[in-house]
Amino acid sequence: MLIFKLAFRNILRQRRRSLLTALSMAGGYMLFVFSMSLLEGSWTNVVDIFTLDHTGHVQIHKDDYAKRPKIYKTITDRDSVESVLTGNEGVKGWAPRVYSTALAYGGDKTSIAQIFGIDVTLEPSVTRIKQKVTEGIYFDNQPDADGYAKAMIGRGLANILKLNIGDEIVLISSGADGSIANDVFVISAIVGNTTSFDRLGVFLPITVAQRFLSIDADVHEYALLARDKHANERLARSLQLALPQLKVSPWQEIEATFYRTMQSDKQSNYFTMGLIVFIVFVGVLNTVLMSVLERTKEFGVLRSIGCRPSELVKLIFIETVMLAFASILAGLVLILPVIMWFTNVGLKLDIAFDMGGVVFDTMKGDFSAYVIFMPMGFMLLTAALISLPPGLRAARILPREAMGSH
Amino acid sequence: MTTVIETRELVRKFGSGETQVTALNEVSITIRKGEFTAITGPSGSGKTTLLQLIGGLDEPDAGDVFLSGSNIAKMSGSELSDFRRDHIGFIFQSYNLIPVLSAEENIEYIMLLQGISAKIRQSRVREMLALVGLEGMGDRRPANLSGGQQQRVAVARAMASKPDIILADEPTANLDSKTGIALLDVMRQLNQQMDMTFVFSTHDHKIMDRADRLVHLEDGVIHLDESRSV
Repeated sequence: MLIFKLAFRNILRQRRRSLLTALSMAGGYMLFVFSMSLLEGSWTNVVDIFTLDHTGHVQIHKDDYAKRPKIYKTITDRDSVESVLTGNEGVKGWAPRVYSTALAYGGDKTSIAQIFGIDVTLEPSVTRIKQKVTEGIYFDNQPDADGYAKAMIGRGLANILKLNIGDEIVLISSGADGSIANDVFVISAIVGNTTSFDRLGVFLPITVAQRFLSIDADVHEYALLARDKHANERLARSLQLALPQLKVSPWQEIEATFYRTMQSDKQSNYFTMGLIVFIVFVGVLNTVLMSVLERTKEFGVLRSIGCRPSELVKLIFIETVMLAFASILAGLVLILPVIMWFTNVGLKLDIAFDMGGVVFDTMKGDFSAYVIFMPMGFMLLTAALISLPPGLRAARILPREAMGSH
Repeated sequence: MTTVIETRELVRKFGSGETQVTALNEVSITIRKGEFTAITGPSGSGKTTLLQLIGGLDEPDAGDVFLSGSNIAKMSGSELSDFRRDHIGFIFQSYNLIPVLSAEENIEYIMLLQGISAKIRQSRVREMLALVGLEGMGDRRPANLSGGQQQRVAVARAMASKPDIILADEPTANLDSKTGIALLDVMRQLNQQMDMTFVFSTHDHKIMDRADRLVHLEDGVIHLDESRSV
């Protein structure tokens, strides 16, 4: 306890200098936390947008369907998959899907189209499909009065084919059994916008799509949301163990290019922040070194009464880390309301932009243990490291020379 | 009587070439337990150097220093630190207390280094403060104590670790005559009551008058070594 008291009082010796040092460390910490919060918040926002738009947190496929999709690579044993998904507490929601491409006719125009067979009830538990409906109403499994199955189409396709709600669309494709698939559907809704990933999409109820593509009750994909989105990779691993016959992939694998881009952006930001902390601590190092030089005689006395060199290293270490910790706490008190505001309210952007049909108009922060404690740990570690050169200098002091005998 | 210190042909030189000075030249001396020894001599005679070599604060160029049977001239840095902490008490001319610690804490700190429990430390601090006549002043910082009081705290600090010997370098040089005498009386009393060995480097006659052994150094050589009854 006495060594902490000694360290604390040594900090208070040169109050003004300690205060200035503390301010620079607190400022560095605040900047670090604020940048981290915005960085993590922005990326979390972007990840949320595309995972909730379509990808989900984890996907399940047959073999390498995610990389090389083929109509016949289907998941046939649905009962066992769905029983695993229902029984796993980490799964918040799941939905089966069927995919194919088709040629779409509308009026006198044609276009390529992407078929999405989705479970009308389960899909909204995974994605924001309902919120993406810009015209019409979210469809159901029931055919219309004339017996036509309902379809929702992307805004891009609607524009190309000049189709509106209630119009008919004809799809021509090939079934899994090699047959020609063609049918007429009536448009119940238009989803997304012209930049959405599904702008050329045709959403069909899954049973309709299965019949259209002749794949019985099979599906191409299960997309699911994790209860803890940060633990999706762990969830994927546990599901993979339970479903060894299938390929379970977290979104980081499905969207590998995006994930690498995000990681590289984060790393470059961490590097910049690390550089800022380094510059702050060069100043701190200078202060601690100066304080050691000023106390040379005192360290000589301590050495002469039997203080080991390591005790002096410990004393300087405690002084530096104590000052850093107090500065970080002060910085935390000041920055907490700011990042809470950014997380809960956020800064409205002058110009909103659209990502996959979801409007991104607010710059949001992230309020998490990682954002607060990672900079704290990094700064304390840096403080501990920079205390070593002055500590070692103090440890090398020779009592006779320090006390100025000769 | 038991030998506490024995130096054998100690040599210590400073500088090099033409500017080299021999501070001590083959000095051999034996100090026994309970002695109250004053090492005297003019400035530059080697008194402080001898004290520093005995205390392990400096390394001899040649010769050996045996303290309680251990050759401290051959010890490594950490061994020497531990040895100083457990066997030697220092009193300096300019008190050299830690300014940010109170009198009590200055005394306690060395015991903390020794790994003594808090309870024993507290009790010994009170005992030491009583011995040097500073009861009730333990919570004062050095800046709030007079020179004489600070030196008493230094004496208490030196005594707290229960050393084999206390080395005092000009302990009265910064004190007025009356305060110096009072301090010397405290040390003499500790010497007589507790059989504590004191070695002074000094040219203060008040110390010489109270010492039961005088060692006179000149140009790094012992010129006189006499025991006397005081």
